[in-house]
Amino acid sequence: MSSVKFVDHGYADPDPAISAGSGPFRHYELDSDFHDELFHEDGTPRARARRLGAALSRIPPEDLERLQDGVYRRFVHEGITFTVLGVEDVSEQIIPIDCVPRLITAEEWDHIERGLKQRLTALNLFLHDVYHDGKSLRDGIVPLDLVLGCPQYRVEMRGMKVPHDVYVAVCGTDIVRAGDTFAVLEDNLRVPSGVSYMLACRTAMKWAFPYLYRAYGVREVADYPERLYSTIASLSLTADTPRMAVLTPGRYNSAYYEHAFLAGEMGVDLVEGRDLVVHDATLYARTAAGLRRIDVLYRRIDDDFLDPVAFREDSVLGAAGLFHAYRAGNLVLANAPGTGVADDKALYAYVPRLIRYFLDEEPILANVETHLCREPDGLAYTLDNLEELVVKEVGGSGGYGMLVGPHATEAERKVFAEHLRSDPANYISQPVLPLSRAGCFVDGRLEPRHVDLRPFVLQGREEQHVVPGGLCRVALRKGSLVVNSSQGGGCKDLWILRE
Amino acid sequence: MLARMAANFYWLGRYAERTENTARLLEYQLTRLVDTDADELALGWRVVYRALSQSPPHAPADVDEAEAFLIADAYTLTGGLVEDTTNPASMISCWGMARENAREIRPRLPLPVWVCLNQGFLWLQETEFADAWGEGPAALVSRAIDRLRLLAGVVDANMARDDAWRFLEIGRYVERLQQQVVLLDMWDRIARPDGDGLVLSWADLLRVCGAFEPYRRDRSLTLRRSSVLGFLLRNPEVSRSVRYATDRIGSALRGIDPAGGRPPLAPPHRMVLRMAAALELDPGEEEPPPDGASGEVFESLTRDSRILHSLVQASYVDYPVAAGLPS
Repeated sequence: MSSVKFVDHGYADPDPAISAGSGPFRHYELDSDFHDELFHEDGTPRARARRLGAALSRIPPEDLERLQDGVYRRFVHEGITFTVLGVEDVSEQIIPIDCVPRLITAEEWDHIERGLKQRLTALNLFLHDVYHDGKSLRDGIVPLDLVLGCPQYRVEMRGMKVPHDVYVAVCGTDIVRAGDTFAVLEDNLRVPSGVSYMLACRTAMKWAFPYLYRAYGVREVADYPERLYSTIASLSLTADTPRMAVLTPGRYNSAYYEHAFLAGEMGVDLVEGRDLVVHDATLYARTAAGLRRIDVLYRRIDDDFLDPVAFREDSVLGAAGLFHAYRAGNLVLANAPGTGVADDKALYAYVPRLIRYFLDEEPILANVETHLCREPDGLAYTLDNLEELVVKEVGGSGGYGMLVGPHATEAERKVFAEHLRSDPANYISQPVLPLSRAGCFVDGRLEPRHVDLRPFVLQGREEQHVVPGGLCRVALRKGSLVVNSSQGGGCKDLWILRE
Repeated sequence: MLARMAANFYWLGRYAERTENTARLLEYQLTRLVDTDADELALGWRVVYRALSQSPPHAPADVDEAEAFLIADAYTLTGGLVEDTTNPASMISCWGMARENAREIRPRLPLPVWVCLNQGFLWLQETEFADAWGEGPAALVSRAIDRLRLLAGVVDANMARDDAWRFLEIGRYVERLQQQVVLLDMWDRIARPDGDGLVLSWADLLRVCGAFEPYRRDRSLTLRRSSVLGFLLRNPEVSRSVRYATDRIGSALRGIDPAGGRPPLAPPHRMVLRMAAALELDPGEEEPPPDGASGEVFESLTRDSRILHSLVQASYVDYPVAAGLPS
């Protein structure tokens, strides 16, 4: 595989002569309905893409194929997989990696970074308010019944002091680019995943395009585990050097690789519920040398499963009494239980209002136009325009529980309309987003595909940090707008340029 | 380290060792296919299958075990021990179990160790057994042995000598101890001339154990039963001797639990010292036991090694919560 490296022409002079529809990009078809991140509408390359385009144009397709295969094999051998539970068996799958990096300029990133920080600050303030004074609810900023009726609202958290008022320490926000602007599609405030793929993609791309990477001056993401550790450790109330662990549901969880990777990189234990014991309102891990106290838990399981005494009594993934230790102040949980109330898809529509209310600022990042079916006007609009809208369950994820109107059959739309009428509060609708397209290498050709982006934000005791990169998901099927890995999506590296 | 992870390292060591043990026995048997007559080959298969605690192949009811191995073909007998995923003792199953244990300890496992183990497993999984057989019956298991020894080297080069490594060592040597005792016992039972005058070579036993050359240097080319068995039981420098395994287990235990090595002795330490004493005090080759009496030594070692396994689990993995609370 090492010989493949020499195909990297990153130091070659950017060649302005490349264009969409000719040469190596002869299969690259532009569509004026979608923003293309490599080329202008007239087919000339964007300034940021010239060096990348020049490098790609000098690599024979068979070498690019070998490079792609080399990246794939690297993932296979290193076990960078996600687990899929089938009917009869459990299989490990690799998320397809596209070997063409996506580029974001420093100016664009500055806008995104400021927007993400603003958003997370407001959401943490909102969560504190929801579980304490409820001022924003009383002032009618968010409907009370929307919050209290949300399955992720945890009455157990009411009045509870959360260390340093940081409810969300790790956030993964889904962002899309439609036209020239970036907009938030979803806030993931519970247990956002995907950061390990961001790091794995970066390692693979540095291997595949070492000269190009250097020539571009890409911002580094490798310190993420260190930053995650210091962020979560900063929340500890009891110790300067807290004993930390990552709590995983186990190796059958689809994100198990990520849990193991992060624990390993942070140098902390990866614990499961069966490793934990609560004694005297203190959490302990069973070690080979007896029980050892845990001060801080980066939990990667949902609230429901944290503690069978406090939440779901049939859970075997958490530890009995864990929430009691948390309430007693002997344990810090990141993220705090109950944060899901702020990333509900219905509440999402109110986030701009929350930013104005708590920060007295205009939102830097826009929301996607959203119709709440819980409101009569929103329901009527959704039913009248079902063939043009995407309808989502407020608690759904992974591309499931949704209807993509333009791609659905008449019968499917009819069934969904019934669901909407019988339980309108469970749905929202949004227009079909013209997701931007980035260059990809698919089936031996350079072609555009739709992409989104999940940057990660860390909120510590005092410091906020936006990782200069993120999980870039790509819809590898031609024409598809669905980027989820469970439905034919893959990922690619995201390069945030220094200049 | 977490008790569960200690158990995973222990079982990783056991399964990796078990895979290699199976491969070594198969390599011995498969290299004999070329120039050994059918009766002797059948005898060899009996030893291999019994040493691996495997049932003999299916045969008509009126056929005894020896004849069953005579009827069965080498391809089928080998396949059952290499690629049969329904057989928990096959190489693919054991390698898979080693990998599953490794998956649970990924945060503590150096990446090169995981990659080497994973690549080896994927290689075996993707290998077409029939094609590999066509290249030469022993080629596949020889390559598997190379990969497993590479893994041992990668472990050696990349792992810190901490508790993770010590539990891995204990697992490896508990497995080796058990497998070696069973092998020596089987060989001793079957190697003697039977009614047909068949005999297994003591030199082959030494070769299977990688001890032929050290034996030849240390002793002589005149091979006597008691001398060979004594060498493989008590020599502290041969890596497949029983003594070597108990020494390594004792050393790893002292690293994990130094206090347990001083009176009052912790149960696993006590058991290892007891086994070492039994080996040391056994009259061995100076006063060879009469035929059949050596079986008692092997039975005792087998029993003690199983107890040792249980004691390790009970002391470091499955201890009662009350016993683990900080004082």
